[in-house]
Amino acid sequence: MKRSAKQSSQRESSVYLNGDAKLRGPLSRRTLLRGTGMALALPWLEAMMSESRGDEASVETDAQGQRPSDTPIRMAAMFVPNGVRADQWTPKGEGKDFELSPTLQPLSSYKDKLLVLSNLWNQASNVGDGHYVKCSGYLTCTTINKSLGIDLNCNGRSVDQIAADFGEQHTPLRSLELGIDPVTTGVDTNVGYTRVYGSHIAWNGPTSPLAKELNPQSVFDRLLRATKPSAQSAWRDQLLLDRALGDVKQLNRMLGASDRHRMDEYMQSLRSIEKRIEKQSASQSANWQPLVSVNPEKRPGEASRDNHQEHVRLMMDMIALAFQTDTTRVCTFMFGNAVSGRNFSFLDGVSGGHHDISHHQGNEEKLAQYQLINQWHIEQYGYLLNKLESMQERDGTVLDHSMIMYGSGLRDGNSHSPHNLPIVVAGKAGGRLNSGQHLSFGNDTPLANLYASMLSALGTGIDKFADSTGVLPGVLAS
Amino acid sequence: MYPKPAKGPQTALRTLRIVFAFTLPLITSATLLAESEAEITAVKFVGTYCVDCHQGEDAEGGLRLDGFESSLNLDTSLEVWKKVVERTENFSMPPREADVPEEVARSAFLDSVRASILKAICEDGAQPGPPQLRRLNRTEYANTVRDLLGIHVNAGHALPSDGAGGEGFDNASETLFISPIYAEKYIDAAREALSHAFNDPGSRRRIVVSEPNAERSPKDAARAVLEKFLPRAFRRGVEEVEVNEYVSVFEMAFETDESYDAAIQVTLQAAMVSPKFLMLYETPNLTGEQAPVGQYEMASRLSYFLWASMPDDELLKLAREERLQDPDVLKTQVERMLESRLSDDGLRRNAKVREFAESFMEQWLGTRALGREFIPDPKVARRYNSELEGGMKYEPVFFFEDILAENLSLLNFIDSDFTYLNRALASHYRIKGDFREQPRRTDLEPDHHRGGLLGMGAVLAVSSHPYRTSPVLRGKWILETILGTPPPPPPPDVPALEENDSSNVPSSLREQLELHRDNATCASCHDMIDPLGFGLENYDLLGGWRDEAGGQPIDTRGELPGGQTFDGHEELKALLMERKDKFVRHFVSKVLGYALSRGLTEEDNCVVEEITQNLAQDDYRSQTLIKEIVLSVPFRYKRGSE
Repeated sequence: MKRSAKQSSQRESSVYLNGDAKLRGPLSRRTLLRGTGMALALPWLEAMMSESRGDEASVETDAQGQRPSDTPIRMAAMFVPNGVRADQWTPKGEGKDFELSPTLQPLSSYKDKLLVLSNLWNQASNVGDGHYVKCSGYLTCTTINKSLGIDLNCNGRSVDQIAADFGEQHTPLRSLELGIDPVTTGVDTNVGYTRVYGSHIAWNGPTSPLAKELNPQSVFDRLLRATKPSAQSAWRDQLLLDRALGDVKQLNRMLGASDRHRMDEYMQSLRSIEKRIEKQSASQSANWQPLVSVNPEKRPGEASRDNHQEHVRLMMDMIALAFQTDTTRVCTFMFGNAVSGRNFSFLDGVSGGHHDISHHQGNEEKLAQYQLINQWHIEQYGYLLNKLESMQERDGTVLDHSMIMYGSGLRDGNSHSPHNLPIVVAGKAGGRLNSGQHLSFGNDTPLANLYASMLSALGTGIDKFADSTGVLPGVLAS
Repeated sequence: MYPKPAKGPQTALRTLRIVFAFTLPLITSATLLAESEAEITAVKFVGTYCVDCHQGEDAEGGLRLDGFESSLNLDTSLEVWKKVVERTENFSMPPREADVPEEVARSAFLDSVRASILKAICEDGAQPGPPQLRRLNRTEYANTVRDLLGIHVNAGHALPSDGAGGEGFDNASETLFISPIYAEKYIDAAREALSHAFNDPGSRRRIVVSEPNAERSPKDAARAVLEKFLPRAFRRGVEEVEVNEYVSVFEMAFETDESYDAAIQVTLQAAMVSPKFLMLYETPNLTGEQAPVGQYEMASRLSYFLWASMPDDELLKLAREERLQDPDVLKTQVERMLESRLSDDGLRRNAKVREFAESFMEQWLGTRALGREFIPDPKVARRYNSELEGGMKYEPVFFFEDILAENLSLLNFIDSDFTYLNRALASHYRIKGDFREQPRRTDLEPDHHRGGLLGMGAVLAVSSHPYRTSPVLRGKWILETILGTPPPPPPPDVPALEENDSSNVPSSLREQLELHRDNATCASCHDMIDPLGFGLENYDLLGGWRDEAGGQPIDTRGELPGGQTFDGHEELKALLMERKDKFVRHFVSKVLGYALSRGLTEEDNCVVEEITQNLAQDDYRSQTLIKEIVLSVPFRYKRGSE
C-alpha cells in the first residue's frame, strides 16, 4: 500500500513481452533508435511501421497527422461496486484549473490526461433495487427486468459491445470481459433479482450477459494464442468447428423454430473462432500482426485468493498487454460484483466488508474506512494508467491512444443513488478527447451522453446511445 | 397415489369454465360462495385495507376489488388475485401512507389467497414444463467428462462460473448463457481431458476399443471406437449416419496426421465440442397434449438430478429397453442412485450422489459463499484455515448425503443427533474423538450444542458479517432458507440503525436493535427477523460456542409477533419444529426446482403441495421425496405445443 502505483510498475512494464519483440514492433524500433541517439520521427520510420502492420500506404491523415486506420484507439470500462464516499470524490474547481480530491489523489501524475465528470446520472437505473439495476445498467443505460431468471433481460446492449462492433474487424479478439469475482451464487429473494445481474456489466444483447475471465493465466493464454496462431491448431480447430456447426444445424432442424436461442448463442460462439482463424490466415491481404509480440515464457503466476491486490494487478497487466499488442481494442473490468462484501482488512485502518462499510450511515469511522477502500481502487486504476503510459507507441503512449473509464453505478453506497455518479475517463483517445479537465454538467445530465461521446471519439460515427440527449459539451476535442 | 396428468391443455379447460360461468350463472353461483374460513379471512382483509381506493369506475390503477364481499371468485378473477398477491408480497400494497395492516394479518391474508389460488389452479391437475434445452453447467460438464473418459481431473476448471436462476440453482436453464468465449473454452477443455485420458493406459483402453492391424483398416477401427463412444457422449442411441459423420472427421484428421491416436483424439474432441454432447435437449412435443419424456431423455433427467452427471450404462440400458417410465423401475433406480456406503470407521467415500448433495446444499444454504463471497476477517477469526473451511463446507453436504442414502427424515435438518466432522471442525466445536481430515459421522450429545442445520458452522458463518455475528442476517437466513418467507428489503426512505463499534458487544447490539421496535415501519418486519437471530447468539461468527462475548453474558431470549417467547437455540429449534410443514413445503419446492432445473410455476406448486402431504404420511422420509419427484408429472412429462 505504501508503495505508489507508479514505482511498482515501472520495472515490470514489459515483463510479458518477448525480449526481441522490441525489434519487431514499430514502437520498439523507435525505442532502439532512441537508445542509439537517433532522432525520433524519421520519415522512413513511418513507412516501415505501416509496412509492419501490412496496412496500405496511402491512407489519408487527419488534422493531427494520424491515420485513423493505423493508430488503434482503445476503450476500457471499469466498474467498482458499492459507490464512493461522496464528500471525498469531487475535485475542487472546474475546467483545466482543478484540484484533485483526496480520493483521486493517486492519479496526480496523470492529471493532464484525465476527465473527471460530475453530475452525470443513469436515469434508467433509478428504480428497482439498490445494486443489481445499477450494475447491469451501468454500461447499457437501460432498466433491467426484475427477474430471478426466467425473464432476465437488460433491455439493451452495453456501450463496450457497440464499440466492439467497430473494433473487431481490426483485431483477433472482439473484446475482453475481465473480473475478479466469480458470478455471485444464488438469487436474491429479498429484492427479487438473480445475482447474475450483479455479476455482469457487459451485455452483447438483451439476454446475453458476457461471461468474465477471472484467471490472468487464461487471459494470457488467449492473448498468446491470438497473437501467435499456429497453422496446425488452426487447421484442427477448423475441423472441429465444421463438425460442431454441422451438428448445430441438425439440432436446429430437429428442434424447430422455437427455443433456438441457446443453440444460436453456441453457433455464434463457434463462428467467432472461425472468424478469427479466417483473419489470421496468411492468404488474407490485411494480415493482422501484433504491435509487439508476447513472450510465452512469461506466463503470469496463479492469482492467489488471499492476495486481492496481486490478483487485480495481474488483471491490469493483462489489459495493458492486450491493448499494447492490439489484440483487442475493447475491454471491461469489474473490481468486484455488485454488493461485494469483500473483506478489505488487508488495508491499514479498514476492518470489515466492502458493502457493509459502504452503508456508513454517516458514521465517521465507517466513512474513513470507506474512503480508504475507494482510494485503494483508484490506486489500482492508477497502476493500469501507469502501465499504459509506460508503453510508447508512435507519437505518444498507449494511454494517449486509449479511453479508460472508471466508475460506479451509484454514488453514495449508503443511499444507492444513481445521481451524480463518480466517473473518470483517462487517456486522450488519440487526441480526440479534451483531457485534463474537471467538467461539471447541468444536474442530471445523462450518463449515456458520455457513452455517445466516447463512441464518437472512437470514430464510429455514432453519437447517440440509449437515453442520450447529445454528446457531452467540452469533452471532445474540437 | 401420484398426480395424474391433466387430460388436455389447461388453457382450454379454463376458457371452458369461464364460458360456463358466463352462460350458467345460476349453477355456478353455488361454487362462487366462500368455501373456507381462509377465504373469509381474505375477503375481510380486502374490505378493510383495499376497497377504499379500489372500487367503482375510477378505481386506483384500474383495479376493482369491490364485488368480492363474500368470495374471491377465483373461477373468474384468478388474474386479479395473482396481481394482488404480488403487490402485497412486495409491500407495495397497501401503500405505506395508508392504514397499514399488522404483519400477522398481512401474512395470514397472503396465505389464504395463495391457498385459494392454488386450489383453483390444481383443479386442472399438474402441468409439465416445456421440453428441456440447456447446456451442461460447469459442475455437470466436469462430472460428465470424468465419467465419459474415466479420468480424475476437473475438466471444467477453466470454464466461466455459472450464475443461478429459478429456485436459486446454477442448473436453471434460464441463466445458462453461452458467451462467445465458450467454444474456445470447450475446445481447450476437451483437448486437455483427452490427452489425460490417452496418457492413462486404463482410460485409453476403455476408450480406444479397437486398433488398426493387418485385417482392420484405421477407418474400421475408428468406426468401432465411435460406435462405443458416441452413444455415451450423446447419452442416447446414435444413428449410423451420425457415426459416419464422425468417421469422416477421423479420415480427414488421419489424412493429415497419419497417427491413429492423434486422429482419434481429434475426432473424440469434435464429439465433445458438439452441442449433442454439451447440451441437454429434448425432442419437441408436437402434440397438443402433454407427452411422456423420452426414454433417453428420462435417463438424463435422472442422472443430472441425482448425480449431476451423465447416465451410466445401466440407465442407458434401461432406456434402450424402454423401461424408464415404469414406476417400479424408477423407484428401484432412485434407490440405487442414492446409494452411498458408510465404512466401519464412519467415513463415506466416492458416492455419485454426493454431487447432488453438494450442489444442492451449497446453493440452498448459501454455503458456497464460504471462502468466496464470505471470507471471515482474519483478525477476528484467527483459527480459520483451509482444513476448518473444508470441514465447515462439507458438514452439511455429508449430512444430506447420509439422510438420502439412509432414507432418514427430512426433519433432521431442523434437529438431529448426528453430524459429520473432520479434525479441525471437531476441535472448533470442542467435540472429542478420533478425527482425521475427512469428515466422519459423529453422534451428538446435548452438551455439544449441535444438531440440525442451525448448529452448523458454515450456516452460522455465511449468515454473519465477516467480523461479527448479525442477529438480523441470521434471522433473515432462517426466514428465507428454512421457512421460505424472505422478508422484503428495508424501504428506501427509512434510515438504517446506526451500529457503532461497541456493537461488537452483544448487549449493546441488542439495545441498538431494540430501536427497530420503536419505529412501526421497521418493526413490521424486524419483529419477525431479529428475535430468531438472537436465539443463535451463543454461536460466534464461525459457529463456535460461546457463553459470553466482550465480557457480557449472552442473552438469547426472543419474542415473536403474537407473543410466543423462547430462549436459546434449542427452544428456537422446537419452535421451528412446530412449523415443520412450512419448512417441508419449502424444502420440497427447492428440490423440485433443482430436479426440473428451472423456476417453478404455480402449477408446479400443486405438485409441491401434494408431495408435502404425502411426506407427512411417511415420516418425511428423504427417499419418498425423491421418488415422488421422479414420478411426478413435471418430471416425467413435457408440455404440448400451444
